[in-house]
Amino acid sequence: MTILDIALKDLLRSFRSAFAVGMMIIAPLFLVGLIYLSIGGGADSASSLPGINVGVVNADTISANSPLEHPLGDNIRSIFFDESVASWITANDYADETSARAALDTQEIGVAVIIPSAFSDSFFAGDDAVQILIISDPTLTFAPQITENMVRAVLDGAAGGGIAIQALIERQDVVDPAQLSFALETYSAWFINFQRDLFHNPAEAALVMVAPSADNETEAPLQKMLGLMTAGQMVFFAFFTGAYSMMSILRENEEGTLARMFTMPIQRTSILAGKFLAVFLSVLVQGIVLVVASHYAFGVNWGAPLPVLLALLGQVIAATGLGIFLISFVKTTQQAGPVLGGGLTALGMLGGLFTANIAMPEAFTMMANFTPQGWVIKTWKLVLAGQPLAELWYPFAVMLLVGVLMFAFGARNFGKRFV
Amino acid sequence: MNAIEVKNLKKSFGDLQAVDSVNFAAAQGEILSLLGPNGAGKSTAISMLAGLLVPDGGSATLMGHSVTADPQAAKASLGVVPQDIALYPDLSARENLVFWGKMYGLRGAALNQRVDKVLEIIGLSERQKDRIGKFSGGMKRRVNIGAALLHKPDVVIMDEPTVGIDPQSRRHILDNVKALNKQGMTVLYTTHYMEEAAELSDHIAIMDQGKVIAFGTHAELIKLVGEQTRIDLTLNTESTVIFDAWRNTQGVSRIDAENGTVTLLVDDSNLVLPRLFEAAAQANVRITSVDIQEPNLESVFLHLTGRALRD
Ligand SMILES: Nc1ncnc2c1ncn2[C@@H]1O[C@H](COP(=O)(O)OP(=O)(O)OP(=O)(O)O)[C@@H](O)[C@H]1O
Ligand SMILES: [Mg+2]
Repeated sequence: MTILDIALKDLLRSFRSAFAVGMMIIAPLFLVGLIYLSIGGGADSASSLPGINVGVVNADTISANSPLEHPLGDNIRSIFFDESVASWITANDYADETSARAALDTQEIGVAVIIPSAFSDSFFAGDDAVQILIISDPTLTFAPQITENMVRAVLDGAAGGGIAIQALIERQDVVDPAQLSFALETYSAWFINFQRDLFHNPAEAALVMVAPSADNETEAPLQKMLGLMTAGQMVFFAFFTGAYSMMSILRENEEGTLARMFTMPIQRTSILAGKFLAVFLSVLVQGIVLVVASHYAFGVNWGAPLPVLLALLGQVIAATGLGIFLISFVKTTQQAGPVLGGGLTALGMLGGLFTANIAMPEAFTMMANFTPQGWVIKTWKLVLAGQPLAELWYPFAVMLLVGVLMFAFGARNFGKRFV
Repeated sequence: MNAIEVKNLKKSFGDLQAVDSVNFAAAQGEILSLLGPNGAGKSTAISMLAGLLVPDGGSATLMGHSVTADPQAAKASLGVVPQDIALYPDLSARENLVFWGKMYGLRGAALNQRVDKVLEIIGLSERQKDRIGKFSGGMKRRVNIGAALLHKPDVVIMDEPTVGIDPQSRRHILDNVKALNKQGMTVLYTTHYMEEAAELSDHIAIMDQGKVIAFGTHAELIKLVGEQTRIDLTLNTESTVIFDAWRNTQGVSRIDAENGTVTLLVDDSNLVLPRLFEAAAQANVRITSVDIQEPNLESVFLHLTGRALRD
């Protein structure tokens, strides 16, 4: 109870201090705000993306001797009707190109995908005279690109399958056409599934789309970049908050309030525990506020709740641990200045917090692994990329271990000094 | 059982013997003053009683609880008013008191009632919602004291609680100390103002350079200087030729000079002063001011150490 009282008192003081609130909450949000404005105010941002209306004309058929069971056109059509994209793509079938064009004109649909008859056969014959046609409303930029990319993804899968089969035939391992067909179907099913994972939200799809070339960027990757940069800022300031909150023990030592507590009938270990709890709670509250505020103010799409919580918890543990560890070597609030300013900035740079949105050289990425910050931002990158929980346990375990170890060292130092 | 009992208490910092085999005791319901100049070791002695410093030797008990063997029980019966303000400037007076009350284990309605009561005692009920940072020095001092009273301790230790404040706040604090004492609290009061020690104390321990050099009631201590009067003089010359004549004057027991002031201890100033003027006239020295002080703790200190209490 006393422990909680001490921690809550510290929180109250922090949230009353203009400087603390400024550094913990206002500064990171302000910086994210600047980034947000500099990339165009998040216009057409992922979260506010209007749904895409796609019209599909599937005239594809297969000849009797085709290795395929279904025409490729069916696969392409199905990807637009897939439930995984239902939240942002509305697809409708049209009988032919004419009716699809009419629907475009009336803006019933934004994009039309027209798959000609015998497309599958000519595709596998390497004949590029027969092509899929994508027609779109000229005012749209994002929708046609993403549509084209999705079509391409299926075709790449099919082509890959074709190459695989070619290889099998050449090695003469498999001669039975039925088996060939089975192998091809399995392969393309796997590939489509893989794509489907990538396409679970439009920002992802857009990222896949622009990954190979930088010159056809759209708002969605910018949104992605905003997410990464926000994460970088948040992690930096989380570590700042950890150290700054722990600094309050130095301030209390100088203010005499720590000594006053020591004259009261409380165990000194409880007093220290209260101070540590305050650090944890400060970083936690800050993280929650930043995640929520950046989402609502700037449309940062953090991803699924559970991965976000896990990353946040890891961040809190690591930042608390490092804060307690660092400050345990510092004697006065004056000495703490350079530690907070210089030390955390250096670690943040090494950890890649300020370059979270840029692909860095291998050596740099390696270095980040030697900083707690590096592991935290790594986790956020995975979360922002929509990785499932399973992918997060490893970096989380590292953050937990590093955080707990640093906490243990720091607590021991403080114990030697004050208990 | 004495409320406070200190025996052969020792503490050194490196080569400096800050508290050197100190003994004193206060019966329950008493005000005991530790009187001494800067660096005498008052705060160091108190810190050991409060559990802030571990003694190098000796023993100390509060309400029968050893401060080293049973610190929690000793602390529970003790309220400490530190020499420097130890409050949270960014919290209000009430928030400060509520927090410190919780540290003493008070909760809920009992806590709130006690905070109200203490605010009343220190005369700050009206200002309870204001932040400590905005308070005057005297008001801060009062809250600093209030924080030590929340759990109605048997013993209160106050370390120079009136340093650097206006006369009004000082009066308020001294009256508080007396009122609290009337209600049965034992008070250990440190100061280097001899008037405060004289006004408040049942017993006074005079400390200097880590040692208790005298202990007793005010009257007992005055007797040490043999009812002598102190005379401070200033002269129109820095020459000390007159000192020998004065030293041999009948009724003068001691003469010291410091910073242009000559201090003499005399038996009866009415008899001695004319003789001093006469000797001065003969030596062609002019006396430019005279200050007569009947025996007090200041003269006791001077008598015992050869130095003034105030530097
Ligand atoms: N933590 C410390 N480390 C080293 N020396 C100390 C420490 N605390 C006190 N001292 C020294 O011990 C001596 C006694 O100091 P103390 O603070 O007890 O004096 P005091 O009687 O309270 O004086 P004041 O009236 O100035 O408060 C001084 O010489 C002081 O410099
Ligand atoms: Mg002192």
